[in-house]
Amino acid sequence: MRLRGRRAPLAIGVCALLVAATACGGADGSEEPGRTTLVVKTFSQFGYQDLYKQYESSHPGIKIKEENIGKLGDYTPKLQQWMASGSGAGDVVALEEGILIQFMARPDKFVNLLDHGASSLQGDFLEWKWKQGLTSDGAKLVGLGTDVGAQGMCYRTDLFAKAGLPTDRDQVGALWPTWDAYLATGQRFMTARTGASFFDSSGSVYLNMLMQLSDHTYYDTANNLVIDTNPAVKAAWDKTVQMIQAGLSGNIAAYSPQWNAGFKNGRFATIPCPSWMLGTIEKQSGPENAGRWDVAKVPGNGAVRGGSFLAVPTQSKHQREAAELVKFLTSPLGQMAAFKAVNNFPSSPKAIDEPAVRNFTNAYFNDAPVGKIFGDSVKALKPVYLGPDNNPVNDRVTNALTAIEQGKLSPEAAWANAVAEAKRVAG
Amino acid sequence: MTRLLDRLDKVASPYLFIAPFFVIFGIFGLFPVGYTAWVSLHAWDISGAQGFVGLDNFVTLFGDPNFWNAIVNTLGMLILSTVPQLVIALILANALNQRMRGLVFYRLGVLAPIVTSVAAVGIVFSQIFDRDAGLVNGMLHLVGVPPIDWHADKWSSWIAISTMVSWRWIGYNALIYLAAMQAVPRDLYEAAEIDGATKARQFWAITVPMIRPAVLFTVIVSTIGGTQLFTEPLIFGQGGFAISGGSLRQFQTVSMYMFEKAFRDFDYGYGSAVAWMIFVLIMLLTLINFLLTRHWGGRA
Amino acid sequence: MRKSHPLLHAVLLIAVALSAFPLYWLFVVATRTNDVIGDWPPPLLPGGNLTDNLRRLFGAEDAHFMLGMANSAIASFAVTVAVVFFSSMAGFAFSKLRFRGRDGLLVVLLATMMIPVQMGIIPLYMIMVRLGWQNRLQAVIVPFLVSAFGVFLMRQYAERAVPDELIESARVDGGTTFRIFWSVVLPALRPGAAVLGLFTFMATWNEFLWPLAVLEADNPTVQFSLNQLSTTYYTDYTLMFAGVLVATLPLLFVFILFGRQIIGGIMDGAVKA
Repeated sequence: MRLRGRRAPLAIGVCALLVAATACGGADGSEEPGRTTLVVKTFSQFGYQDLYKQYESSHPGIKIKEENIGKLGDYTPKLQQWMASGSGAGDVVALEEGILIQFMARPDKFVNLLDHGASSLQGDFLEWKWKQGLTSDGAKLVGLGTDVGAQGMCYRTDLFAKAGLPTDRDQVGALWPTWDAYLATGQRFMTARTGASFFDSSGSVYLNMLMQLSDHTYYDTANNLVIDTNPAVKAAWDKTVQMIQAGLSGNIAAYSPQWNAGFKNGRFATIPCPSWMLGTIEKQSGPENAGRWDVAKVPGNGAVRGGSFLAVPTQSKHQREAAELVKFLTSPLGQMAAFKAVNNFPSSPKAIDEPAVRNFTNAYFNDAPVGKIFGDSVKALKPVYLGPDNNPVNDRVTNALTAIEQGKLSPEAAWANAVAEAKRVAG
Repeated sequence: MTRLLDRLDKVASPYLFIAPFFVIFGIFGLFPVGYTAWVSLHAWDISGAQGFVGLDNFVTLFGDPNFWNAIVNTLGMLILSTVPQLVIALILANALNQRMRGLVFYRLGVLAPIVTSVAAVGIVFSQIFDRDAGLVNGMLHLVGVPPIDWHADKWSSWIAISTMVSWRWIGYNALIYLAAMQAVPRDLYEAAEIDGATKARQFWAITVPMIRPAVLFTVIVSTIGGTQLFTEPLIFGQGGFAISGGSLRQFQTVSMYMFEKAFRDFDYGYGSAVAWMIFVLIMLLTLINFLLTRHWGGRA
Repeated sequence: MRKSHPLLHAVLLIAVALSAFPLYWLFVVATRTNDVIGDWPPPLLPGGNLTDNLRRLFGAEDAHFMLGMANSAIASFAVTVAVVFFSSMAGFAFSKLRFRGRDGLLVVLLATMMIPVQMGIIPLYMIMVRLGWQNRLQAVIVPFLVSAFGVFLMRQYAERAVPDELIESARVDGGTTFRIFWSVVLPALRPGAAVLGLFTFMATWNEFLWPLAVLEADNPTVQFSLNQLSTTYYTDYTLMFAGVLVATLPLLFVFILFGRQIIGGIMDGAVKA
């Protein structure tokens, strides 16, 4: 028996490896003397690369590092973990609308931007966008707005032609002054049997109607859950159910692979499209479908979904510098640059009225004057109050609508289900 | 002196041998367990702990139909995936343990799923089970069966997900069995052969009893893995609210429910309570497994 | 050599086809353009766009794909070596050595496997903050240098693969426990250790939730950078499939390396050695 193994070097190797593993460093951590590095946390796309360069050259002491996470669904757990551990949130964090609303009850986690001279900027923002980031007593400003989900109705001209409908965007917009007219157009479209459905799935149509119908949705301004007493919610629901029963929905879940493929294959003829979605549609549909998509005005008067904010967490060690950066990035100039880079539509009236935005057209969508269409949609918008658990509640309502589309529940049973689920999550 | 050292070696070295595990686990594993317990007794929102609430989270949990729905789904898919998976793996391993032509090719081929990530499996299978352009529906169409909306029903979504899980893990388990089978002395089979025992008889009388520790291992590990099933149903359920596991939570597992409460609704306290219930559930299942397999084995 | 039944070959061929099909399909999509997604019938033959997709993959600035591959290689290698070594030691001790508290400690060990993983993220992150390991590679290595799964697997394997007589005779020869472990037990555990090494490498390579939590996009692991290839609003499937394909190649290599003795049909286990 050989007791002295020839593998002794291996054991030494293991130990060396363990030591090395604990010692081998990451990518960052070193700070150049005399220079402050500001870490900006974002998700998806904010289109700030050029703005960072601009800011660095005008502020020699500042270096900016963006840490981006592609999907919002991956970003929010990280945000939560940074908040719980008191570390990692960097100096500037991007907050999606629904997340900001949740944080408004705990403004102490963020620097009050009013302390950093933001009060003079109020005129730079749409009034409701400004108010969303402000505590109800008006004492603390948690975040400054970046973009808004200005809304248009994207449609396939080839499918419309096939169904004998007009294809010109003004005529198309005239087809649906109201959602009832949109429903009637859909029924006309479906009788032509093009093989496509009229819209992808009911969730976004429903939300668009809801946001137009009232100044609040699932919560009243005292943050009581009013899903089953607010007539606007039921009205939007009933109209959506009518559309489902008329066979307009393709039951293709948003952001699913089928949905992505559906843009290219022409599986649905219309889709309510926020400004940022234009990029999605262009990439998913591919060059071979150039000119087949167009943008018309949305039924009803204006509608807005989503949009984001920038905030400075109190755990930042460079709060003053970070607040200055936030002011720069959310300025009309910054918002215009982001719009040009990634289609994020400005929340600043000044930027919206700038010719560069106002006259902006999109070549992929038959040169549609998207700057004007989206600008008008934003201007027509009435502010809507959203309560703390607005997004989770809306997710559940959308699920209930899907259950109707799948034929799993009757509309009545689905409504009861949505209300019960909403009470559970908001309770 | 030598005797003293010898005694010391016998007494101390077992502890030294297991020390690395317990030391590193103590540093990185124990704190999260305790912390989760602490959190489960608190109300929580997106910004952190908001006060002690005692057992409130657990009380709510027991009356929460979504939690029980998730438990049923988890157990259903656990049985639907684990049982065929282990049986097929055992049969495959036995087939691969023969001497035959093309052995290396077969082994490589059958064990190939091991190298794929869950994410890749999820993407591929969600295309295979697609309602409109999926392979399975396409083949059903050829024999005149109308397309199935795999996401819409419990039975269909469970089958799709269990297929995904089984596909990936059959290879793993077969590999474990195969490794164990190779430690079975050949002469046992040769003796049985002389006695005129059939292949099937040899399998049940020699192979299975001899690899019992490996079988016990796979049963327990698959049970634990199945109870924590998360990524496959998450990828299968598509769209923005995939974590709910279907429009009516048809295939939401407990792990998904825990994640939804903790990281989607930002109720980390409630999510931690769910985590502890999962822990208890797995303990129970493992205990049942232990008792069942002990009874089955009897003697080695 | 015993004769193998033709039916056996037929069954195994079907099993191989079913096992390999999704992998093959992964390859097919990686060689196509985005047009094919959602097409019916789906494409079954490779196209000519592999090099183009690969160029886009390695050129995707925000994904840091090469760095992700390198990071994952380091992490997976370190974790695998440590897990195999420590698990063999502990598994041997739990299986073949007698000591006070053995069964109790084994139960504790098993219990640690039952903790749902997703829940540990926030507290583990807090530890990393304390250690200053945020966005550092050691954060995805050190906590995983041991594994209860591994200890359990090696214990179960040692039960059969290491006969008690072998240890007894080594004791009579006057070996210390560690020398017996090193020269008698470890060789006998080789097939089990190969399986464990294979699994550990795969699991570390494919780990996603924890790297996503503790690392940032500029210092990712391979699964993290694959995830960065798509955003909430846009998914480029062929790019993603090309990424998955490239990310699978190292696993294939490790699979053949570790699996050699199991795959290659070396029938003499350690028992006869």
